[in-house]
Amino acid sequence: MSDQELIFMSAADLATKIKEKQISPVEAVKAYLDRITEVDSKINAYITVLADQALAEAQQAEIDINAGLIKGPLHGVPVGVKDQIYTKGVRTSSGSKIRSDFVPGFDATVVAGLKRSGAIILGKLNMTEFAMGDPITSAFGVTHNPWDLTRNPGTSSTGSGAATASFMCATSLGEDTGGSVRGPASNCGLVGIRPSWGRVSRYGVEGASWSLDTIGPISRTVEDCALTLRAIAGFDHKDQYMKDVPVPDYCAALTGDIKGAKIGVVKEFLDPDVIGVTKPVRQGVLQATEVLATLGAEVEEISLPLAPVAGVASRIISAVERSSLHPEWLRNRPNEFHHNTRVAFTTGELIPSQVYYKAQKIRTLVRKQALEALELFDVLVMPGASEPATVMNLEPGIRSKEAAARALTEASYRGFFSLVSGPALSICCGYTAEGNNKLPLAIQIAGRPFDEARVMNVAYAYEQNTNWHLERPSL
Amino acid sequence: MSELNEDEIRGLAKAVNIEIQDSDITDISYSLNAMLEAIDSLNLEDINAVEPLPIILQKGD
Repeated sequence: MSDQELIFMSAADLATKIKEKQISPVEAVKAYLDRITEVDSKINAYITVLADQALAEAQQAEIDINAGLIKGPLHGVPVGVKDQIYTKGVRTSSGSKIRSDFVPGFDATVVAGLKRSGAIILGKLNMTEFAMGDPITSAFGVTHNPWDLTRNPGTSSTGSGAATASFMCATSLGEDTGGSVRGPASNCGLVGIRPSWGRVSRYGVEGASWSLDTIGPISRTVEDCALTLRAIAGFDHKDQYMKDVPVPDYCAALTGDIKGAKIGVVKEFLDPDVIGVTKPVRQGVLQATEVLATLGAEVEEISLPLAPVAGVASRIISAVERSSLHPEWLRNRPNEFHHNTRVAFTTGELIPSQVYYKAQKIRTLVRKQALEALELFDVLVMPGASEPATVMNLEPGIRSKEAAARALTEASYRGFFSLVSGPALSICCGYTAEGNNKLPLAIQIAGRPFDEARVMNVAYAYEQNTNWHLERPSL
Repeated sequence: MSELNEDEIRGLAKAVNIEIQDSDITDISYSLNAMLEAIDSLNLEDINAVEPLPIILQKGD
């Protein structure tokens, strides 16, 4: 099998072929390392590539598998991890200069979960500085979108989206506060799920916002996403906000049968006059709902009037909570931040307490409205963003108050389900032409707390009846 | 709510022991005023009676 065939394979197929000894883990790791050498100079998705460590682990995996010892469903599969997630003995920079020499003494619970399931950590992935702002804030350089190198790969898990879309890892982990798993999935044509609050441990993850952070997979297919989530989900007493809820076999739940499923299409996000959804995105999402209807789902429109205010509330909450994490850095090491990050941290420090509490109260109302809707519907759907990936502005700065206000409104698309605390998944629902390039469009599918299995099954049914996931960026 | 000017923002920052650099003040003003205006414009009915604790997981959640 050629390297190209190997890297274009889904993580699930690769895992099966490794288990059946048709592909060796060493072969898989070498193919991905070659791919990183070939394309990462254009993309800049990796901060640290663990070539020697990954090859040594692959050699051990080969010995184990040949001896009939299968560690778990990801045995021998090369995975990339966002650089705010602790990896024992490996620099974990959070995309920042301040943490550029930080080497944790232990693995985050999610990394331990990946290793338990047999995954091989291929490297640490680029991200925006402290999971904030634009790709330009990373101390390790801008990450580019593989579909169009001038465009934003989606923030803040920039490297997780770009590496997965450009076949530089089989699957990856990101962290989602206000949409940082779903954003890269949306911009790069991938599948990314923000799990329920309390489903995946945050222990050993450099926090962005204590009440919003979640860790989730960014993958090329729904099955890969399910496989990766299964490896990292489950109760962990080290994270005080976890809930001890049994973790289903997500892959087994992917039946593709959605006959009779009740699907609510959130009206406000599809009305161009409410928060500015663009025509190609609207069209892509509506066509996706038609596909779901032909598969037997009952699709109906629903109004959630608080949807457009979610962005303001989520941005205020995350701004305050982020700035409270390491207040000493802003006072003692201000010049080590990127300008945009320093502006964001300072803004968070200056928000009055009553404003923060008003945002939290709005969160309560948003959550109540969404959960009431989810009593009527099995899942809710909406666009992943108002528009496809935009061209990156490489100059620092906010530009104007109006630009800052627009960013708050746009944040509603993904901030809405960050506030609800249930699972929300982004999946590609088509492409739009921009110049010589195609850009992915995305639909979000969100469900009741701890009902990731149903959300992923709806996405799976859609994916199995469309071909968007088979498209590849040309690099 | 009236917009905070740069002196007022510097005053707020001083109260929490932050010195704002000249190169940052305009962008902080854009960012902070956009947030304050946006949330101030949201007049939701009965919001004062709402408890801001959505993150606590309820039984059956």
